[in-house]
Amino acid sequence: MDQQTTQVLLIEDNPGDADLVRLRLVEGKFPVNVNCVNRLSDGLASLSLETPSVILLDLNLPDSRGAETFRRVIEHSPNVPVVVLSGQDDEVLAMKAVHQGVQDYLLKGDISSKHLERAIRYAVERQGLLRALEISQKQQLEFKNQFLSHVSHELRTPLTCIYQYVTLLLDGLAGPIAPDQSDHLKTVLKSVNQLHAMIRDLLEATRAESGKMRIERRCIALGDLVRQAVAMLKPTADEKRIGLEIGLDQRLPLVRADPDRVLEVLINLLDNAIKFTPEGGAIVVQACMVDADDGFVYLSVSDTGRGIGPEAKALIFDRLYQDADSVDNNRSGLGLGLFISREIVRLHEGRIWVSSEPGQGSTFTFTLPVYSLAKLLAPVITKDGRLRSDFVLVCVELRSLTNPPRGNWKEIWRQALEILRRCVYLDKDLVLPPMGTSGAAQTLFVVASTDLQHSGVMTTRIREQLERVGDLKTRCAVTIASVPVEFAAGNPAGPLEQQVQTVADRLTQMILTSMERKHLRAGKGTQDVNESNNKKENCNAKT
Amino acid sequence: MPRPKILVVDDDPDLVRALRLRLRANNYEVATASDGYTAIASAQKERPALIILDLGLPVGDGFVVLDRLQNSDVLSGVPVIVLSARDPQSNEERALKAGAAAFFQKPADNDELMNVIRVSLGPAETPAPTQTAAWPS
Repeated sequence: MDQQTTQVLLIEDNPGDADLVRLRLVEGKFPVNVNCVNRLSDGLASLSLETPSVILLDLNLPDSRGAETFRRVIEHSPNVPVVVLSGQDDEVLAMKAVHQGVQDYLLKGDISSKHLERAIRYAVERQGLLRALEISQKQQLEFKNQFLSHVSHELRTPLTCIYQYVTLLLDGLAGPIAPDQSDHLKTVLKSVNQLHAMIRDLLEATRAESGKMRIERRCIALGDLVRQAVAMLKPTADEKRIGLEIGLDQRLPLVRADPDRVLEVLINLLDNAIKFTPEGGAIVVQACMVDADDGFVYLSVSDTGRGIGPEAKALIFDRLYQDADSVDNNRSGLGLGLFISREIVRLHEGRIWVSSEPGQGSTFTFTLPVYSLAKLLAPVITKDGRLRSDFVLVCVELRSLTNPPRGNWKEIWRQALEILRRCVYLDKDLVLPPMGTSGAAQTLFVVASTDLQHSGVMTTRIREQLERVGDLKTRCAVTIASVPVEFAAGNPAGPLEQQVQTVADRLTQMILTSMERKHLRAGKGTQDVNESNNKKENCNAKT
Repeated sequence: MPRPKILVVDDDPDLVRALRLRLRANNYEVATASDGYTAIASAQKERPALIILDLGLPVGDGFVVLDRLQNSDVLSGVPVIVLSARDPQSNEERALKAGAAAFFQKPADNDELMNVIRVSLGPAETPAPTQTAAWPS
């Protein structure tokens, strides 16, 4: 900086002081250029236009006083070094200034030309070093993430090879093998699967840490997901003779969440619960509403394991946390599962926590935001401040002719969704966001403000439009059904908001029933799971 | 009935050998290629019923191959299953958009892979009529 002119922004309202500082600066050996303003607002405006080498700042200005002055300057331009020039010999204030990022605190009465010049030079240097450190830390984090993501990809290639050859041998494709050999190979395969899970977790955690984890929110019924997760973990639980029970609140609303991710969290929690529950224990998965927090559904996994101590409780969701006394410590994974789960829940704007007493088992609970149908519906089912009179729920089911679906299934049903949107009246009909998990079937719903007779015109239009799309026609069976929305307790009454809610509740019920039936028709086995329909009271309260 | 032919494109010869064994055991005929250029040439010569394609390949990566296949009159109808170690978050959508029938990240489960191969090779379905169903009750 020796050769360059130092650009100084002097924010000082006292003309005498300003002149003095200017004089001191000009006396020095280094070329300086001083821009002086007498209000903080002018100083900030000037900073928006150009960046000086250093800011010399008086604290008591017409539009700002004391600590507030440097706080605002630093907030505005965190990368420009600030030297406070104060009339107050206030060590407390000076320390506060330094803690908040001010480079130096000088007393106006003390400054000599040499002194000021040196203070400026050091301030600029220190700020530069600080900045370089910040950049280097950022780069290091980026490098670490890139490295981890690279490593986890590179590990997959040899892992694939091991998997392929082990399964070739196990499946007898390379000749018959003895039972002993088969057992050994199964052990290898088990380790391969563990390694695979670790690589996946490593990448997931890296993504979570660098903010690159993505979720795809849909409108989902949690019952399906809970049953799916339990069915997946049932064999592992059976091995240890651990009972798995499901308790679902009967009036469970739909939630807005990524089904694959929620399943991941549930599997993770169940997996942990099984790991830490002794033989013959019991695990309960519950989903319920809590009166005090009706914007969220509470999901919990409780076990009869040995519980978690208070110190561990505070750390358990952190990266790489591992229980020191884990029963099978050599097989406990990377310790990323709960960290990943927490990140997934956080992305959904939910919370996750654990309540536990040593020896009394643990309950992990997380929340997911309720999908508010009422908010979406209000503009289309009301007109001029009144509820419209008739509503029909149109259900369009696309079922792939093959399982798994052939080709880009997501693209196919998105096309169908687009068609539905073109077939409805925007002011009185609503195509609901896609529902359910991504499988070989996708059901799309339309709420129409019309009677059953008139909805026929719409369904005919939908059918004609869908039939024009080649991909849809050759790849899936389309079923369209319409049903009027009827109310058991007479038509909605009360304030408009309440009427809308009544319609939304009834529709939610109808959608859930329809999805539940499909679920049963699809024959996804839940019969082997001992399910009880718990009421609210049975739900674990939050800690 | 002739056995359907599958072209396996991967630059890892060990993996190709294992896949060949497994595919043959599942009653498929197998052709192989280890780079993008040879993949196109083999596809034109062998006329496979299905292609298993890696993405990271020398001499024209998997996306180049997908593009060439899509733009070929004779090969655009051949289903391509991408089997790659790459991250699905940044590659699956892109591969499907480029014409792939499915995306598997390595290591792919054998049963799932075989299932998708079987489905992709299945006979073309007759268009299903759209039904108007009564509400399920």
